[in-house]
Amino acid sequence: MESRVERGSFRDPDSRVFYAGGSVHRALSERGLADWEALAATSLFRDKVAEGKLVGTEQLAEPNGLPAEIDADLVAAVLRHERVPVVSYPYEWPFGMLKDAALLQLELLLGALDEELILKDASPYNVQWRGTQPVFVDVGSFERQREGEPWAGYRQFCTLVLYPLMLQAYKGVPFQPWLRGSLEGIEPAEMRRLLSFRDRFRRGVLTNVVLHAKLETRYADREVKQDLKRAGFHAELIRANARKLRKLVQRLEWNPGRTTWSTYRTSNPYDEPDAAAKLDFVREAAGARRRRLVWDLGCNDGRFTRVAALHADYTVAVDADAAVVEALFRELRDEKADTILPLVGNLADPSPGLGWRGQERRPLLDRGRPDLTLALALVHHVALTSNVPVRDFLDWLAGLETELVIEFPTRDDPMVQRLLARKGPGANPDYDTETFERALNERWRIERRETLPSGTRILYRASPSA
Amino acid sequence: MGGLFAYLDPGSGSMIVQAIVGGVAAVAVAGKFYWRRFLGFVGIRKKNDS
Repeated sequence: MESRVERGSFRDPDSRVFYAGGSVHRALSERGLADWEALAATSLFRDKVAEGKLVGTEQLAEPNGLPAEIDADLVAAVLRHERVPVVSYPYEWPFGMLKDAALLQLELLLGALDEELILKDASPYNVQWRGTQPVFVDVGSFERQREGEPWAGYRQFCTLVLYPLMLQAYKGVPFQPWLRGSLEGIEPAEMRRLLSFRDRFRRGVLTNVVLHAKLETRYADREVKQDLKRAGFHAELIRANARKLRKLVQRLEWNPGRTTWSTYRTSNPYDEPDAAAKLDFVREAAGARRRRLVWDLGCNDGRFTRVAALHADYTVAVDADAAVVEALFRELRDEKADTILPLVGNLADPSPGLGWRGQERRPLLDRGRPDLTLALALVHHVALTSNVPVRDFLDWLAGLETELVIEFPTRDDPMVQRLLARKGPGANPDYDTETFERALNERWRIERRETLPSGTRILYRASPSA
Repeated sequence: MGGLFAYLDPGSGSMIVQAIVGGVAAVAVAGKFYWRRFLGFVGIRKKNDS
């Protein structure tokens, strides 16, 4: 059985994730095993797994199948986890997803405290998704409480969860670029500098940001853990803080104003007959057979995502506009949808490999290849706004080895005209129907072609030609 | 119980914040923490206590 380590799992020596035989495993040290046994014995574990909030986990009889990178002598036991369909990262989530992930972390922290356990960290990467339902996947985060010690995860909760949420809620600045730029998140001192004097009086800022930053500078080189213990620090304080944090996070809101895209459907250039024909086309292509994984690139309000998702085990809906993804997330969450994952992402600047060796966080494509991809009302934006050559875009799509439903708005299309008008005559000469179709033909087998009633948009269904 | 290390540095400042903001129960802890620091500072309490 071939096995390999998860490159993003090396920080905690007591608990390391690896893959073997298509499932997710976790190698535990002696100490990790004792923590796991303490967790497994609680009703918290049983209840949260049953509610779908904690990943399903079982202990293997023998610690077998370890990859070479993990020293077998240091492994006391191996766990097997249920798999989440597609791994995603906080810098790909809209505000509402990071907020729900935060609330799940705090719920589990409070539950753990009742069982004399605690979470040893607070990384939002420990939360993954079944559609819009968050699931905590790092069982190795639970450990037995140590008397008299504060919560070690508090700082990480601030830098990777609370401050990013505050940045969006209080300043209207998207947190995704920051989290993508720094896997450690926003430092307390940085956060303080981002906030104005008036912001200091917003909920939670004075303590979690201003005081936190000040104390961090002041006590940078001093050991205080023992002093706090002697002063009588106890678990009730952690509980009180966790409750306060929960209240604070619950009240953080982001209500995006109208963006170009959030009003796209109501103001878009194609009329209802086009939309109806497009829906039929997508329905037929998606319904041809059941797919394992569908990608909808440029999903906008998710209208076509939903049609495709009816015939797929799992669907990832990506859009560059965080406001439309936020709206889609809220709709889907209210429906308790668990097979559509909405993500923020720009095709012309996709999630790269990040962190140690550039492998700790992986590009989207490494996290699951689609067998059907929708690219509706997309190619003109990629080609005309981001200036990606049409052939290059199709080459990239061909590399996915996926079936494809793609829409091509011709040069006569009002939206295309608007994009071209900004650039002047003769711009993007490679953007025309003939070139597009030839390039598509070279790389795919075109199964179906249909011009929409408006006459300026053409839909293609294509299969990999190999 | 095994080793007492944490793989994640909890941060000294971050720990003290938690002793200050925890409501009524925190007042006593923070007060005692700073009082002991003060005693240490004026030399009444020996440093090797920590």
